[in-house]
Amino acid sequence: MQRRGFLRQLTLGSGLLAAGTLPYGLARLLAPAAKAEPHTHLRPPGALADDAAFVEACIGCGLCGEVCPPRCIVFHGREGGDQVNTPYINPEQKACILCNKCMEVCPTEALTETPLEKIDMGIAQIDRAACYPWVDRGICGACVSICPLGERAIGFELWNQYRPFVKQGCVGCGLCVEVCPEPSLPIRVVHRSHGTVAEHRV
Amino acid sequence: MNTRALKPFFLWRHLNKLRWVTLSVVFAMLVLLPFVHVYQTYVAAHAYDLLSPEEQRLYDVMEGLTSPFTNDPAEDLDAIKGTTWSGTFFGLQLSDPLAALAQTAAARSLYWPFLLTALIPVVFTIVFGRFFCGWICPATFVYELNTNLAYWLRRAGLRTGQKRFNRKLKYLVLGIGLVLSVVTGSVMVAAIYPPAVIGREIYYVIALGGFGAGTVFYVMTLLFDLLVARRGFCRYLCPGGALYSLLGRYRPFRIRRIVENCNDCAKCNAICEFGLDPLRDNFGQECNNCSACIAICPTDALTFTISPKDQPYQGPGHLGRKYHRLQHQDRQVREEAA
Repeated sequence: MQRRGFLRQLTLGSGLLAAGTLPYGLARLLAPAAKAEPHTHLRPPGALADDAAFVEACIGCGLCGEVCPPRCIVFHGREGGDQVNTPYINPEQKACILCNKCMEVCPTEALTETPLEKIDMGIAQIDRAACYPWVDRGICGACVSICPLGERAIGFELWNQYRPFVKQGCVGCGLCVEVCPEPSLPIRVVHRSHGTVAEHRV
Repeated sequence: MNTRALKPFFLWRHLNKLRWVTLSVVFAMLVLLPFVHVYQTYVAAHAYDLLSPEEQRLYDVMEGLTSPFTNDPAEDLDAIKGTTWSGTFFGLQLSDPLAALAQTAAARSLYWPFLLTALIPVVFTIVFGRFFCGWICPATFVYELNTNLAYWLRRAGLRTGQKRFNRKLKYLVLGIGLVLSVVTGSVMVAAIYPPAVIGREIYYVIALGGFGAGTVFYVMTLLFDLLVARRGFCRYLCPGGALYSLLGRYRPFRIRRIVENCNDCAKCNAICEFGLDPLRDNFGQECNNCSACIAICPTDALTFTISPKDQPYQGPGHLGRKYHRLQHQDRQVREEAA
């Protein structure tokens, strides 16, 4: 008799637990995890360096998106998984203009106010096998003329004034990606540890 | 007998209209703010001539709406931003207490500047109880319309959900959400908390041009309310409602039944969105002071009062049949004894 009571309580308890977990399971099912391409999913400027810490701090309120003047900050949707409703920037669609508004408005300091030089969204990387001036298919310089950081971040090679190369000062805002006229996008923003700045300096 | 003291203040029964006004204003703001933001981006781009005709029309409408209040739309209109989950209001940052709690759980650390943004809502909740659910929550606006839809469907002869579960289930949902936040390190409740979901989905649809992950979830909660249990998500599952119920347990500002005016008609129990029991003085911690029961009471038997606790059950209403039957029986007993 006692065992039966215990079994019934066990069933009841597990049923309650299942009912309590149901909404979270449902929400998770509606946003299954999928791998996000890193160069089209940059975190907004000032984001905590550790992405796990960023997801912990972000409450998904969307304020950063709501103050963004170029509306470049968009949010992980159904492909989000754990990162659902956290912000990202796809520079191929719309790039960051480094206006600092998102950092000022973020209530949880997931986006911390950072001086311009310290921002680290990544670093631009140029594919020399596809960039027009690098393969001698023409003259361009769009990325150099758009760059908000100018000389610090991107410049021309000394001996060929149309071949761009990235410098250490690049903060990865992605404006160069947005303006690049080459359809295959030979310039993209990658994680700083994957950048090849030294190679470009040659 | 002093009958003056038994009349509730005459404005209390009109508070329900004011409540619908505040709900509508909050919801209208949630729809308006994304349009304001889109307009700001157009202003910031200085490219009116490059906009499509529809975008130019939006620009003109928003300019007409906002130009009386602002000189520099791109900057000044940043004064009101965000949703009820977290937002800024003329420099004052306000956040949902649930956001503060869940973010603390997910990050496993206290970040005071953010917790302080939830201070004003917490103080109001301690004084007025679960008022957010009835007076502000943008999801409530849709849920109550959904309740009315269910009412009309029943009038038309269809069956809608009238099941009842244990209301304590939502405390379990809150607890599980916090545990999951600690374990997974992401703010889990944000994905299932309806006001947060609906606020950001409205923004996604209007400003970013696509649904996020929450719309399907929100529609499923609406269907749950319609087909399974009236106002089921708020009553049985909402983690925010659970938190405010706990905070507002000893709220000084609460509804009280005046037993002398009550005639046991039970309209208050029928109208109560949260399935409470005003007829038996049983409001409990989950009453959200929405005042719908005061508005519907035909005999002015419900009023607001200042008290940290509900009254114990006062017996059947003095205008009702049961009370008179009891009185009659009492008299008979007394006459027999005499």
